[in-house]
Amino acid sequence: MPGPAGARILALVALLTAGSLSCFGSAFSIAELGARAAGMGTAFIGVADDGSALYYNPAGIAFQPGKHMEMDSLVVVGLFRFTPSATPVGQVVPANGYSQSIKPHFIPVASMYMTAQMSDKLTFGFGIFTPFGLSANSTNFHDGDPNLTKFVGRFAGTRARLEQFWFQPTLAYKVSKNAAIAVGPAFVHTHLMLEQSILNPKGDGLVFGRQAANTLFPGVPKEQAAAVISRLLPEGRSRVAGTADTVGFSVGFLYKDEGSKTNVGLTFRSAITSHLKGKASFAFGNDYPLQQYIGSDFLTNAFPNQNITGSFTTPATYGIGLSNSSVHKMRISFDFRMQDYKRFSSVPLNFGINETNKKNVALPAEQRLAFNFKNSYHYAVGVERTLSEDLTVRLGYLRDLSPVPDQSVGPLFPDANRNSFTIGATKKRNGKDYTMFYEAMVFEHRTTDVAANSNLYTNGLYHNFAHLAGMALRFDMPAMPKLMKKH
Amino acid sequence: MKTQYLGVKFFPVAVLGVGIYCSGLLQAQTSPLDTTTFVVMGEGLAAGMANFGLSTTVQTGSFPALVAAQLKTAFPQPLIQPPGIGDVVGYPMREAILPVYPQGTVRVFQSQPNPNDDAPTVFVLNLSIPGLKLADSVLMRPVPPIIQQKNMKQTVVNMILGFPQLFFQRPVPLWTQFDYAKAMFPTLSLVELGFYEALDAAVAGDPTRMPDPAAFAATYGTVVRGLRDLQAQVIVTTIPNPFDTAYFATPDIAASVVATSPFILTAGYHITGQDYITRNGMQAISSQFWKRTLGPLPAGSVVTAAVAADITSRINALNAQIVSAAKANNAVVYDLNAFFRKLRVSGMQVGTRTVTADYLGGFYSLDAVYPGTTGHALIANDLLSFINQTYKTSFPTVNVQAIAAADPVMSYQKPAGGSFGARMLGLDINEP
Repeated sequence: MPGPAGARILALVALLTAGSLSCFGSAFSIAELGARAAGMGTAFIGVADDGSALYYNPAGIAFQPGKHMEMDSLVVVGLFRFTPSATPVGQVVPANGYSQSIKPHFIPVASMYMTAQMSDKLTFGFGIFTPFGLSANSTNFHDGDPNLTKFVGRFAGTRARLEQFWFQPTLAYKVSKNAAIAVGPAFVHTHLMLEQSILNPKGDGLVFGRQAANTLFPGVPKEQAAAVISRLLPEGRSRVAGTADTVGFSVGFLYKDEGSKTNVGLTFRSAITSHLKGKASFAFGNDYPLQQYIGSDFLTNAFPNQNITGSFTTPATYGIGLSNSSVHKMRISFDFRMQDYKRFSSVPLNFGINETNKKNVALPAEQRLAFNFKNSYHYAVGVERTLSEDLTVRLGYLRDLSPVPDQSVGPLFPDANRNSFTIGATKKRNGKDYTMFYEAMVFEHRTTDVAANSNLYTNGLYHNFAHLAGMALRFDMPAMPKLMKKH
Repeated sequence: MKTQYLGVKFFPVAVLGVGIYCSGLLQAQTSPLDTTTFVVMGEGLAAGMANFGLSTTVQTGSFPALVAAQLKTAFPQPLIQPPGIGDVVGYPMREAILPVYPQGTVRVFQSQPNPNDDAPTVFVLNLSIPGLKLADSVLMRPVPPIIQQKNMKQTVVNMILGFPQLFFQRPVPLWTQFDYAKAMFPTLSLVELGFYEALDAAVAGDPTRMPDPAAFAATYGTVVRGLRDLQAQVIVTTIPNPFDTAYFATPDIAASVVATSPFILTAGYHITGQDYITRNGMQAISSQFWKRTLGPLPAGSVVTAAVAADITSRINALNAQIVSAAKANNAVVYDLNAFFRKLRVSGMQVGTRTVTADYLGGFYSLDAVYPGTTGHALIANDLLSFINQTYKTSFPTVNVQAIAAADPVMSYQKPAGGSFGARMLGLDINEP
């Protein structure tokens, strides 16, 4: 049990992490979970010499004597812009395209790491971090606004939130003077929310239109009648949200060759399939031409709010890293990471109340949201230079190849390949390390033209940029009581 | 009328719906014009009124229906069983007595595999109503009972805008033409209104019956703006000049219809060469000719050139307001008036025949105001050309010759053979 001071620290950390919103990385990965690593372009698997090793390469903590506490924070400002290549006739598109900027504009992400050397060979660590997160919001409208002023891709999604917290105790073991392995079982908590507009006149609304065609417009060709009827329906919004608790694990290996001053690291973080439990809710406008014909409760009966289940898979991460510090006061590192996003092919949602067990319900037993991601690859390189005893500076570059295929690029994943340029510095003062970094994340312009998405209006130009900045505080655990007393 | 049947008939609408949630996929929108929902607000011309009533005879071949077919879009119409409904321009108003033989349901019920399922369309997209004025389009709504014996106009409104709505067991909206058009959430709208006002004034020979341009402009602006606010493409038509229709004929033209010389008409009836003889006038003259006795013509037989000029001037003023309202609301103007003028001046070629604007000239039906199916086809093609030019589309035109081959109006013939001369009519005048 931690003492009163420790409890206050843990409470503070818990508050920070619980309040965080994750939002970044390749698709929904987040790579900047350590300020020092981020300053080096996230090339840290072969370095792994601070608390964020629990995330980048847990074996690294085996080489960290003493007890340390580290808190890292990250703020993201995402500037997303989408200019559709085709819209419904009459659609009002903002002059510079739609802004998909995240709201609030500053998204904080916090991590906490603690390490404690138990013996010469054994080191214990505990980390709380969010390797996966997403916060997308393309809602530029109120439900009562004219349809043609609303965000054009709303039927593909308007909002998404994903937060996956890893609570990871870790044991690292030195198998030799220069080599260590580590394993960290993790308790993983996932929260997912997806929101989108429904009853697209060019999509799901047509299904209703076809069914009603012969009743409303007898003698008119079915498809033509369906197209008219689908425009007489109100737009609706669906929201599904759920949480899941499950387990995962991380393992790592680090070898330090003293002669060449070269480190080699390997890391693996397991894939997670979160079995979500949550709610599905639906809402519809209440002023539409068909309302008095089909009854005001027709749509609410067709789309009943209910408990749902589903599953959501986050990928495994494989990484290898090298670092070398043979050059005077300089360290150079390189990482290659692969995430098997191919696992993220679909998100099945299961509706307990569905068309098979209740009359007039329009929901299927299972709705599968297809994404069909491919694997993603990261190449990172970083340089760290010690300028003086208490000041170190860093530069880095990260090339991040997006796993999102054209078909899934849209309001939920406005993703593209990225080139990130980072700088960072650490200042030591009174036995504590203060680290800062800044990252300019440049997305390649991405133009999509997928025939299957033509009626979702998600084809077009995606033009994105993001600013990331963060800071970290790392200190020796013995200093902690003094710190608390001082404040 | 199957009134009891209807309330039950449409109940299944309320219990529809399975499998809506799956997304459907269609082709990308490539044209700047979305023709998904084509709604027409008009009066008798766009409704397909012809001869002596509104009925399927010409409704199915009305120019909006022909255009919709070429656009490949749904266009349910309020089809009326022959002999039709509605008052005929220039004749006294009739009592509304429906159904009349051989009508059954009055509104046509679409055939279904099970005859008990036969039903009319619940909504229509051709909202045009014979005799409707612009002001009516925003004010008149269906009112029960559906048949109002002393009010044919209200009955026609009921049969078009209120059928089957007036029979529903649950309360449903009873829309004006304008409200109805908006409720259908059109992507493309055609507004053909104002012609009946012009006809009414011209047939009565009373320019003061023309609406005030300012009031007309205000209402017209409301209509166009209301449709444009839905982001619909809106095509408005100018008002044709009734004096270009077959209802009005100069003595030169009327002479060919009643088989005499223009001189006999001007001298015998004391009119000038610029005055207009109406359809009723020509019928009265023909009757007198057969009786070999010329006498005073009944009221409404002649419209003087001065009155015609006054009415024409007022029509031009309304057309200016239509153009202005369209411009203000980013709608486009199809010059229907120019089409009718062109027909009057030079006629139009259909195969080897020249169709003219004269009575019995192949374009107008026997009411002399509204076209037959060939006339509608000619209008449709002109409108389609306008649409293609305006929206950079390539919708095919209508095969007019095929329609003309089945159009009885094309078989109408002016009298051939001898003509009535002064001596034959007992006139003591010297023909030039």
